[in-house]
Amino acid sequence: MASDRPTHLIRPVVHRDVVCPFCGLGCDDLTVEEEPPATLAVRSTDCPVARERFSRTPSAEPPRVAGVAVPLAEAVEAAAAVLAAAQAPLVAGLGTDVDGARAALSLAERLGAVVDHALSDGLYRNLAVLQRTGWIATTLAELRNRCDLLLVAGPDPAALHPRLFERWVAPAPAFQTPPSREVVFLCGEPLDATRTALSGIPVTVLPGDPAKIGDAAAALAAALADPSRALGAAGIAPGDIAALAERLRKARYAVVAWAASAFDEPHADLTVERLVRLVRDANRHTRCAGLPLAGHDNVVGVNQVCTWRFGVPLRTSLAGGMPLHDPHRFAWARYADVADAVVWVSTFRPEVPAFSAGQTVIALAPSGTAMAEEPAVFIPVGTPGIDHPAHVFRSDTVVALRARRLIDRGLPDVATVLKAIAAALPQEAPTC
Amino acid sequence: MLTKLAGGRLYDPANGRDGAVGDLFVRDGRIVADPGPGAAPDEVHDLSGRVVMAGAIDIHSHIAGGKVNIARLLMAEEHRAAAITTEEPCGCGVGLATPSTHATGCRYAQMGYTAAFEPAMLPSNARHAHLEMADIPLIDTGGYLVLGNDDLLLELLASGAGEEAVADYVGFMLNATRSLAVKAVNPGGINAFKYNQRRLDVDEAGPFHAITPRRILTALAGAVQRLGIPHPLHLHGFNLGVPGNVEATLDSIAAVDGLRLHLTHVQFHAYGVEGDRKFSSAAARVAEAVNRQPNISVDVGQIMFGQTVTASADTMAQMNNAGLAHPKKWVMMDIECDAGCGVVPFRYRDKAFVNALQWAIGLELFLLIEDPWRIFLTTDHPNGAPFTSYPELIRLLMDRDHRLTRMAELHPALPEHTILGSLTREYSLGEIATMTRAAPARILGLTDRGHLGPGAVADITVYTDRPDRRAMFEKPDLVFKDGRLIVRDGVVVAFLQGRTHVVEPAYDPTIESWMARRFDERMGQRLTHFRIAEEEIRGGNGLVRHACQPGSF
Repeated sequence: MASDRPTHLIRPVVHRDVVCPFCGLGCDDLTVEEEPPATLAVRSTDCPVARERFSRTPSAEPPRVAGVAVPLAEAVEAAAAVLAAAQAPLVAGLGTDVDGARAALSLAERLGAVVDHALSDGLYRNLAVLQRTGWIATTLAELRNRCDLLLVAGPDPAALHPRLFERWVAPAPAFQTPPSREVVFLCGEPLDATRTALSGIPVTVLPGDPAKIGDAAAALAAALADPSRALGAAGIAPGDIAALAERLRKARYAVVAWAASAFDEPHADLTVERLVRLVRDANRHTRCAGLPLAGHDNVVGVNQVCTWRFGVPLRTSLAGGMPLHDPHRFAWARYADVADAVVWVSTFRPEVPAFSAGQTVIALAPSGTAMAEEPAVFIPVGTPGIDHPAHVFRSDTVVALRARRLIDRGLPDVATVLKAIAAALPQEAPTC
Repeated sequence: MLTKLAGGRLYDPANGRDGAVGDLFVRDGRIVADPGPGAAPDEVHDLSGRVVMAGAIDIHSHIAGGKVNIARLLMAEEHRAAAITTEEPCGCGVGLATPSTHATGCRYAQMGYTAAFEPAMLPSNARHAHLEMADIPLIDTGGYLVLGNDDLLLELLASGAGEEAVADYVGFMLNATRSLAVKAVNPGGINAFKYNQRRLDVDEAGPFHAITPRRILTALAGAVQRLGIPHPLHLHGFNLGVPGNVEATLDSIAAVDGLRLHLTHVQFHAYGVEGDRKFSSAAARVAEAVNRQPNISVDVGQIMFGQTVTASADTMAQMNNAGLAHPKKWVMMDIECDAGCGVVPFRYRDKAFVNALQWAIGLELFLLIEDPWRIFLTTDHPNGAPFTSYPELIRLLMDRDHRLTRMAELHPALPEHTILGSLTREYSLGEIATMTRAAPARILGLTDRGHLGPGAVADITVYTDRPDRRAMFEKPDLVFKDGRLIVRDGVVVAFLQGRTHVVEPAYDPTIESWMARRFDERMGQRLTHFRIAEEEIRGGNGLVRHACQPGSF
């Protein structure tokens, strides 16, 4: 792959306005310094996700087959041989950009595999509700410019999306008169960094049982209809519930935000459903919208591609040459128990889970990935937005961003590798 | 390679051919002049007695973008029931009302369509829409950019910006998002909904920016003219689906004061309030206005009966319809200070009076508007019905007996509320070719599409002339895209990728510094990242640029 940068480099090289592809907030204002040949350091923000992920740039290593270093072509052939013999393949992980997802889904179609993303648990707590009841939702720029009351349900989402408050809540809403904003934390405490980011903005904390967020949402919905009959819930006093319900009624544009992957009670989709109903009920009185946060490792983008390619979202089987969607049966962690071959794609983080003995694993992951057990085939690949240009989706599902290449370690992108594997399968894949 | 399509009956309105027998020659993906007796074609198709038209073009079909994916998720039951199995060389997919990208491309091609245009591409969602359209095989695509509720435009208008600045803004946005045309959806209404207004009159100042819908409409129509964009402003009008909305429709025509304007899915905007049910057809009034004013064009948005899903940027209208959802689930989204989306599943029932009258209003419009160059065949897929119902719709237009038979099966009160039974017009093959080929190409500015003259791209459809027009248009004998045979007897036989049609109007780039500031301050996105690079469209290989002619309209 040719470099698009000057060959005579001044040290360090400064990359400005870098798009961060990692957590789904779509921050595109990073300054990243490159100390040639390939060390990256984020200088413009303390965001721990960006700092940690951009700084992981070990040199390229060769692919391995059964632990032995081989040329890429040989690893591709070995992967194809494994997959040609597979009876119940799983193509999962899917931490990749849009092109990588396209290639992975095409390969899965060819193999009749099950497809899922490593982080789809949190996504599915939201999608399950979307599929059952629908919802009223909003996007990050609406939050920033119109929201006068932000209700954060459950654990502080900044643990997963560190710059949420700095970029999308701290600036005063531009399209409300007069511009005003307050933030309420319901059944969750703001992190110290969040308190700092929100300094100057009224913040109310209603600490309650984080396992009973849904109860608190239901109590709020009931109090919206009749404030005089407010009940306490999740350890929050009736008076506090009544006051918050009244505040929701009077808000001009309220946003209820949550990060479902941070919920740890069983059946967390029911918690999401209660929040979605609260939002819908609030719209009988005013405007209110939900903001379901998810999106590490482009899980939102991969789900979008799967939905448009097959008409159904992730957790789909392509066995028999047709899509069959079942979020229970085809969750990767469950299906992994019966799969005989696994293609695991993880381009955003150097992690591959441990699989049962007897499963043949083909891992596409960054150089330096530590694995519990040596996979049958390991192919080091580039990271989107570091080693190659990439499309990734923001958490709110609307905005797709183009992240650019920063360095060239000679690592192939996932799409190229997966297409090569598909081409090496015994029968040529369809051209579409 | 030279291909000869010999002896077909050519319906090619752009070149004045209405069933004349003739040969076509194709070389390197384009139609070429008859190379003379010395030339030896590499391939000859004998088309004696067959009907030959250019590939059909759908001017308004929601085929890609965020709202379509939401609709797919909501229609889970349908998608479970309608799976398509991989068959060489064709891949798999699912869905009827919101088919997967693969199914979308295949079904269009199987009906003889070679292009379809997404009419509601939100600026913030444009990159997604393009990524998705690139995965629709076989057909060309493109998007119309939704403006008119975006806070930046409203802010610009509120600042008293003149026509020039508005045109610069529109010009920048079209270039940045790789769009083909400008769409306005309930101008001002979607924005007002974000301030909890559930209705906004044409001359009522909207909240916050205090701009009237009329001002937005005229500003955008003027900008389109000033930039010389071939397609007129594509307007999803006011009060969609509301009885009495014909007044706002006629008012919109008056508001643009002679500027060109395209009224989309006008069936949903042609309702009166007469009769016991306070719901009546105003098709005759709309048709009369269109017939009188050559600056106006329409597409119909015909409804057909059955289950579908409505997907629209018009959250104000969709929120009002949400109570009618079938099944009972729906999604509303406020989007990025530029628009919104509302997705509401819907089942049109032939025994329901309102639905039956909507069906009749659509057909009345088709039959009363005289000029087939200014009325387009659409169902507003999937809002009125899936695009796969086009062959049946064509039969309704071409076959009065069939129309009357169908009408007799509908709600018994229908005949006294529609003049449909008295309308004797039957569309000819030439008129169908105009409405579905030549006219869409002309109104979009696609000069080398929609016709069969030398220089045209060899997108060609060949039919057997059957009395049952539905059967005829459902399953063409042959479909060529870029000169390659892609469908034979209704079966996809080869795959290729379509192209993306865009305009790139000239504008004064000094607007960009204002835009860049606003993006930094408001949108949390750098303007440079908002702009979609050429290399992002179909991997840098697939843009087709169409000329703009400032001042020519």
